[in-house]
Amino acid sequence: MEINFNQLNEILKNLKAHPFKIYPVLTPHTGYLREFKVKEGDRVSGPSGKWLEKPGTPLFVLEREKNLKVIKAKIDGIVKNLKLDLLDKFVEAEEIVLEIQHPLSQEEVISEILLSTLYIIRAPETARYILSPSLLQRIEKQGLGKVKVKKGDELLIMSFMKREVPIYFEEEGSFIIYKLYFSPFEVVPAEKPLIGLCPEKDLPYLEKIIKRIKEEWS
Amino acid sequence: MKIELHKKLTHLMETAIYIRDIKGEDFCDIQTLIEKLLEVHQNFYSYSVEELKSFIESTNQKIEFLLQKAEETLTPYEIVKIVRHPQRITLQDILENVYDNYMELGGDKEINLDPAIVCAKAMLIRKVDNELYFHQVMVIGHEKGHGEEYRQGGSAKPWGNEKALRYMKMAETEGIPIHFFIFTPGAYPIEDYPGAAQQIAKNLYYMAGLKVPTISFISEGGSGGAEAIGLTDFRLMAEKGYYSVISPEGAAAIEANLKEGRPPRELVEKCANFLKLTSYDNLKLGTIDRIVPEPPLGARKKDFDFFRRLKVELIKATDEIVLQTKSLKMFRKYVLSKQDSENFKFYVDWDLTEDEREILLENRIKKYRKISKWAVYEPKSIMKSFMEVGHNLSLKVKNEIKYKILKQGQKSFKKFLSELSSESSVILKPVSDPVKTVYNLIVGKKLKPRIGSQYIPEETTPYESPLALEDKTVSCPQGEKYGCPDLWVPDLYGEFCGVCPNCNYHFPLEYTWYLNNIFDKGSIRTFNDEISSTDPLNFAGYSEKLREAKENTGVNSALLSFEAKIGGISLIAVMLIGDFRQGTVGVAEGEKFIRAIEIAKITRRPFLALVHSTGGIRIHEGTLGVIQMPRCTIAVRDYVEAGGLYIVVYDNNSYAGPVASFLGSAPYQFALRSTRLGFAGPRVIRETTGQDVPPDYHSAENALKRGHIQGIWDRRELRKKIFTALLTMGGQNLYYR
Amino acid sequence: MKERLLIANRGEIALRIMEACEELGLDYVAVYTKEDEESLHVRLAKKKVRISDYRDINDLLAVADENKCSLIHPGYGFLSEDYRFARRVEKRERPLIFVGPSWEAIRDLGNKIYLKKLASQLKIPVIPGTTEPIYNEIEAEFKAEELLELLKEEGFEYRSLFIKAAAGGGGMGIEEVKNLEEVRPVFRKIRAYAKRLFGDEGVLIEAKIPVIQHVEVQILGSKKGEYVHFGTRNCTIQSPFKQKRIEIAPGFDFNKNFSLNLQKIESEIIKYSLRLAKNFGYYSLGTWEWLVTPEGKYYLMEVNTRVQVENEISGKISFINNNSVNLIKEQIKVALGERLEYTQEEILFKGTSIELRLIAEDVSQGFQPLSGTITHFKWKPESWLTIRTHVPQDKPYNIPTQFDPNLALAIIYGENFELAKRRAQEFLENLIIEGVTSKGEKLKTNKEYLKEKLEIIYQFLPS
Repeated sequence: MEINFNQLNEILKNLKAHPFKIYPVLTPHTGYLREFKVKEGDRVSGPSGKWLEKPGTPLFVLEREKNLKVIKAKIDGIVKNLKLDLLDKFVEAEEIVLEIQHPLSQEEVISEILLSTLYIIRAPETARYILSPSLLQRIEKQGLGKVKVKKGDELLIMSFMKREVPIYFEEEGSFIIYKLYFSPFEVVPAEKPLIGLCPEKDLPYLEKIIKRIKEEWS
Repeated sequence: MKIELHKKLTHLMETAIYIRDIKGEDFCDIQTLIEKLLEVHQNFYSYSVEELKSFIESTNQKIEFLLQKAEETLTPYEIVKIVRHPQRITLQDILENVYDNYMELGGDKEINLDPAIVCAKAMLIRKVDNELYFHQVMVIGHEKGHGEEYRQGGSAKPWGNEKALRYMKMAETEGIPIHFFIFTPGAYPIEDYPGAAQQIAKNLYYMAGLKVPTISFISEGGSGGAEAIGLTDFRLMAEKGYYSVISPEGAAAIEANLKEGRPPRELVEKCANFLKLTSYDNLKLGTIDRIVPEPPLGARKKDFDFFRRLKVELIKATDEIVLQTKSLKMFRKYVLSKQDSENFKFYVDWDLTEDEREILLENRIKKYRKISKWAVYEPKSIMKSFMEVGHNLSLKVKNEIKYKILKQGQKSFKKFLSELSSESSVILKPVSDPVKTVYNLIVGKKLKPRIGSQYIPEETTPYESPLALEDKTVSCPQGEKYGCPDLWVPDLYGEFCGVCPNCNYHFPLEYTWYLNNIFDKGSIRTFNDEISSTDPLNFAGYSEKLREAKENTGVNSALLSFEAKIGGISLIAVMLIGDFRQGTVGVAEGEKFIRAIEIAKITRRPFLALVHSTGGIRIHEGTLGVIQMPRCTIAVRDYVEAGGLYIVVYDNNSYAGPVASFLGSAPYQFALRSTRLGFAGPRVIRETTGQDVPPDYHSAENALKRGHIQGIWDRRELRKKIFTALLTMGGQNLYYR
Repeated sequence: MKERLLIANRGEIALRIMEACEELGLDYVAVYTKEDEESLHVRLAKKKVRISDYRDINDLLAVADENKCSLIHPGYGFLSEDYRFARRVEKRERPLIFVGPSWEAIRDLGNKIYLKKLASQLKIPVIPGTTEPIYNEIEAEFKAEELLELLKEEGFEYRSLFIKAAAGGGGMGIEEVKNLEEVRPVFRKIRAYAKRLFGDEGVLIEAKIPVIQHVEVQILGSKKGEYVHFGTRNCTIQSPFKQKRIEIAPGFDFNKNFSLNLQKIESEIIKYSLRLAKNFGYYSLGTWEWLVTPEGKYYLMEVNTRVQVENEISGKISFINNNSVNLIKEQIKVALGERLEYTQEEILFKGTSIELRLIAEDVSQGFQPLSGTITHFKWKPESWLTIRTHVPQDKPYNIPTQFDPNLALAIIYGENFELAKRRAQEFLENLIIEGVTSKGEKLKTNKEYLKEKLEIIYQFLPS
């Protein structure tokens, strides 16, 4: 693996110019939007605590079939573009209710930059993906940056055309699972990154890059 | 000369500070006195001997007076403070000053499996006239230390209690008495293998059958932690000790419904009063046997008179227990001799013969059966209770004849049957079925031939959960993780048995659901319904709460006891119901439990404990509640040793005392999925250990992982699972075996 | 007030329900998910609401309430055979009319054990086998012996049994045994499997019928207790996973020279189907599926308590007052509580109709469903041809990956079988259906497979 520091600097510069990411918050399903729990410009936080056991900031209340569901923030940031006109209206599924302007953390900058450095497994189809159960278990036990995979290991299960299709690792050599770019059961469009891996021997290079980013982005 | 005075001055100063620590700064202007003492102490050499002498003289008088006054106005909460004070006597002090020789086992200060538990082999020398006699004992107790942090204030971890259990077994092997010293604010509430509750239950179960005399001495008796080494033949208590179901702070937090933070001081003191935690209260309640007197404001590490007194009391208590197994005549003589000095009038050999050990155990069962019985409220005529005794007796005789006499023949008959079954020919069914029926007729069983097959016919259940009668939906709490759809309430509480079909999360259900869906239709007959929870301590507000609970639930206590059938197999069952005071256990619940398991024993039926929910021992009944832990565990052991099958099934939330005793000591424990099971909840853990625990800390999965339970069941299959358990578990003494 | 119907489905069937509503003068509300935005059923719907999932009952009912719908049509697939859905629709505080049978019918007739018991009581032939789950291997062996004996008596050359999990379905937990020695080991295996997978150890044993034709009877019952049938269909051409690919009505080619009395078989399976429907008090559309053997035996296999994909071929050959029938319209009318406007005698059967299911699938790779973009989709319009599709012809269409990649149904009519078959071949010859996969390769369809299989319609095939 070669480190292209020029390219790295370029990416860093771009990110510094726009150190935010906009996350739209959608209605998970239909229902009546009964109440907003936040105002424009409010600071909200995603799940927190050592085990993410504390839920995120309540954003709004959606009522369907007499069930009042509080929709909570999944990420930290500032509330923008609150659609106040939806209050007490019947909303369709997957309608944008507000946006969260999320300041990029060091961690996220690293993951963004690693996209161009790591060996990336991309979604072969627009589909739902989950980690293979055995891999999930290993990652839960050892953590990211520790679990090794080799050719033929089952990485993912793609839920595609009502079938479960396993996705195997096809590269020769020993790789380390470094980053996950998707959440389970979520529809991932084709070609979007799923998993970032690093050849075991290149781990020192990778650490150098991360160190560099940490210096630049603190 | 001056050095002597300095010593005296220092002593006075320490005492004054001690008084202030216990009674508070406002007590009789103690702060001024302390300041004066400090000033003299600091400028010691600028005072003349005469000045010092007179100062010491007058201060000593003042302090004596203050001690006297402090003692007279001592409140229960001040007693708690005495017990917690770093100058309070510790087990180490006792080992050094009470016993004539000792050797600590399995630990040296910090280098220790659990520094909160100290075990030692010790020797006591008894002087009778001019003869010296040597007694060997095992000493097991909590060590608070004088402020040594690694002792965790005497809170035993599960492996500390396990260490205690190991040395109990050692003492049993060697046939020597055990002296237990209880100096604990409570067990260290962590769930590491096998879990705080499970280890205490194991200890209790074993202590119930320990074949050596056991004496305990309570200075700080913090609930379950105390019981872990507290089920003994004789219970001594320090005059200034406390023995309580919960710390006054803990009680106040519950009373104030606090989720976080400290309860108000005033409420804490109130609770200390209500809890009836002093030695005199406990003696009155009958939860201890004798009080060991202490000097004013309690014994501290240099109160040698106290240690001498304690030694006499320990020997005396051991003597009495031993003598009760040997000869009642001797025992009476001994008691009448009013032994209360170090010069003993008798020598008593503490070795027991095989028969004496049996008597020891019988005495122990009787003793605990009696404790707290006075507080059982059971409105019925004398005639009825007499009849019931008679009925139980005749039942016993009938069953003894039925099972013992027939047993031999029964066995060979059974063998013939099983041989026939193993022939496994097509003709099996038509031949064996009528035979089985005839066989059942002979031994009075009405078992259907279906026994042996794994199939219970599914019954259509017209029972409708009151929760199901609403047209609305609810979200599964695990929905976000597993993508569960919102559930329509009539489906969820009807066909789904309160289980999310997607992720198998179990929603709580009302207790009547279990009664209607697990047992054969119309087979439930409750008994002892009239035994009612009462307010034996006059705990403020409790009577009102009880009345409410009774009105809301229509039952008199949190424990239902009944006989019922599952797939034709008759059994005795109890159920702790969460709707009644969170399923907490007090006198009425303990008594009903014991009576139920006794009936199961006499009639040789399996015994099932369903835990709808239990929040622990009910704090409003104080140590009368705590004592249900050893009481019921002894009954459990008695039943299981007699060959009974005891199964516990947990659901919803099951915590603390009951899990750490009569539930946790069941050989077969199962939990429904989504059950939370353990010793103390996250708040208590955080306050005690300063650590947060992961959200799944008390999950059934973790309980299974650490070996507490034997399996996790699905509520939808509960009936089938219990039926299978009845067929596959338990010894030969069950009526249908 | 005008009745309003919620269409709780997608694609071709949603379009057909829409069309029926318009013809009947009913309002409707369509639903769709984000992935389906390009589908014609969304484009053509006058009123539509986006929901999270076609299986999300809560969304469907919320939309129905918000739009004041009074009926709900489940179509086929998705929730159509979910009795809890039907029950909730009926039992909720604001009930709707479920366009389908009673929820009890969905629950009970959908249960194979119940169906077998009920059929046996009514002396309707079912595949020989156990009607109660077996838990014990001695009993299993005994039963297996009995069954093999019975098959011998009935004159089956090839005799074998299926041992299967009672709670199973869809080819899971099923194994074939040919002789008695295999029964016990296989039984133990299946029992263990059943316990692990379904939590219930119950096992069923059933005779394997080696060579069959799959014939089904189309029934319609009104809520007033009137019954008619719309003849039979033959659906023997299926993928290995029992997915139908070509259907033809009527169910038999009476000109074919079998040594069997096909008329008699047809009239008997119709008679028995009606007997069961009447006995149960079934209403709405329903399909009674039968297996017919070359020996002339027939067995009731299952009851489909919904409208079927292939309903239209029955409509095409059934004439009332010289007009062909629209079964979906009939189904909605019955749901509204109307009486049947005709008797059995007024339904005349004429001609033959074939349905071809055009699917993006790789027949050579075990019928693997495919996704991709349809770039060209054209056919030559004919008076004898009806195309049912949600795939737009005016622009490229991405096949969503969550659903079956059904592209279109082609319904062909001919005055007789030979003509219908010839027209079907002609249609396939002229059909242009092209596309690319996400990897840029040519998208495969089952067109060639359909051509090939058209030639073996009405033959007995190995099951």
